[in-house]
Amino acid sequence: MARKEENISTENLVEVKGLVKIYQGKIRALDGVDLSIKAGQIFALLGPNGAGKTTLMRILTTQLKPTSGQAFIFGRDVVKKAAEVRTCIGYVPQEMSVWTDITGYENLLIYAKIYGIPAKDRKKKVWEALESMGLGGFAKALVKTFSGGMIRRLEVACALLLKPEIMFLDEPTIGLDPSARKAVWEKILTFKREFGTTVFFNTHYMDEADLYSDEIAIIDRGRMVKLGTAEELKHSIKRDVIRLGLGSRSAGESVLNKLRGLSLVNEVSADNSELTIAVGDVEAALPAVIEVLRNEGIPIAKIAATKPTLDDVFLAYAGTSLQAQAGPEVRDVRSMRGQIRKG
Amino acid sequence: MAMMELELRRLRHDRTEIYTRAIQPILWLVVYGTIMSSIRAIPTGGIPYLDFITPGVLLQSTVFVSVFYGLTIVWERDTGILKKLLVAPVPRYATVVGKTIASGVRALFQALIIAPVALILGVKFVPNPLNFLGALVILFLVSGGFAAISILVASFMKTRERFMGIGQAIIMPLFFGSSALYPVKMMPPLLQHLVVLNPLTYAVDAVRGLIISGDVSHLPVDAAAIVAFDILMFVAASMSFRKIIE
Repeated sequence: MARKEENISTENLVEVKGLVKIYQGKIRALDGVDLSIKAGQIFALLGPNGAGKTTLMRILTTQLKPTSGQAFIFGRDVVKKAAEVRTCIGYVPQEMSVWTDITGYENLLIYAKIYGIPAKDRKKKVWEALESMGLGGFAKALVKTFSGGMIRRLEVACALLLKPEIMFLDEPTIGLDPSARKAVWEKILTFKREFGTTVFFNTHYMDEADLYSDEIAIIDRGRMVKLGTAEELKHSIKRDVIRLGLGSRSAGESVLNKLRGLSLVNEVSADNSELTIAVGDVEAALPAVIEVLRNEGIPIAKIAATKPTLDDVFLAYAGTSLQAQAGPEVRDVRSMRGQIRKG
Repeated sequence: MAMMELELRRLRHDRTEIYTRAIQPILWLVVYGTIMSSIRAIPTGGIPYLDFITPGVLLQSTVFVSVFYGLTIVWERDTGILKKLLVAPVPRYATVVGKTIASGVRALFQALIIAPVALILGVKFVPNPLNFLGALVILFLVSGGFAAISILVASFMKTRERFMGIGQAIIMPLFFGSSALYPVKMMPPLLQHLVVLNPLTYAVDAVRGLIISGDVSHLPVDAAAIVAFDILMFVAASMSFRKIIE
């Protein structure tokens, strides 16, 4: 698949170097982004609204030109070789992108024609795409009558027509209810397994990034903050917490100090018979903590260990909580989708 | 071609728009046309006034459709459809051409509704189907050019409200500043010069020659002017189209 070109590494499907995008000479949407994504994985770009997720995706899908820096898909420059790049990518924009006044089947048929799929394969491919998104039974219904989740699946089906190497999904489940979100994702995972398509998606839903992605990049205010698997990210902030319920007696100050002395322990606080211990890594620290308490003859009634959520990760790296930022704009998009459907 | 099919399929599902859009031009013919022809205030060179304005009204209504086709584009911009089209592996000019052809198709349907009305009102067409076909070709070409203008405008006016304003500001002056309602000779001298630059003037002249007067001596010049206008607008629209999503 990969083609040699200049000195760009072709191992990575997506390669981004020092990407900067400034809107109207003042808004820095992207502020020097570097990124590389291997083929065949599901990649999540996680960040709050306005972090630059959509801007990055639109540059990668050749819609916008970067102010400076470079981006490559399969080693092809998205600015200089835009037409080539467009032949191997699928894209589902954040906004609704089907015609509501015709049927689902007609939508795909028209896109198939626009995409230049030969007439003899067209019908078959359209049906395949519809079936693979679980829409076979609704093909002849006007899109106006579809639910939000069905529209999304239709849009993904549309992008599937081209059997792209990489699929860009901009907020694929925004404004959908949990069961519709799940349905959309199940279908995405199925076609990913079937065709080995690389999936690049933007989201501000931490749970989705957590559940469905192989690798996550956290973006905030136009900068890549951190990259890794969900596990790695949670691990990296060293914010695991051990809660111990002590049975008969509470731990004295000397015990607390002993615990604090452990190299794996960051912080210890006691509240009556409950100990809260912040550690870097639960698995490594827990045995040492238990050892200290046993030596002191303090019985342990219960143990709870909590791992950080991606929100904690985000908080640690970006300095603000993702949930706190995901506010009114989301609702706007949701109501907009609703209006479009009605209109 | 796909774009054209899209319009046809849309029309099949919902024809209301075509009927409501036909009301205005029919009023021009039925009310304005009949009244003005009864007072015979405008020298039309021996043609009944109603017959005189029929080509103009036909063109006005098709151009109306094309210019407001840009509204569809603004709507497609608000949704993600345009983004998706621009990411599709087809050249951008192809998308522009496709869109303009689609608008031409819509415009033709409009003409096919108005023509019978004119017939009922007693307008005498040149009884040659080839001429009528030629007129449809002219209508199609003109509406394509105006659809391109519409795309051009839509690329800059990214909201519906702004677009509506500009749309009106384009159509009415062009309609009144052409020979659609009165001969060019009746206009003030300054306007007579400007009329030369108005593509509608040529279109009206061509269509009138083909279906009303039967005098096709200007046809080559008219057709050349329209084609030149089309090409100019296509190029401009293709260049501006990229900007529309930024």
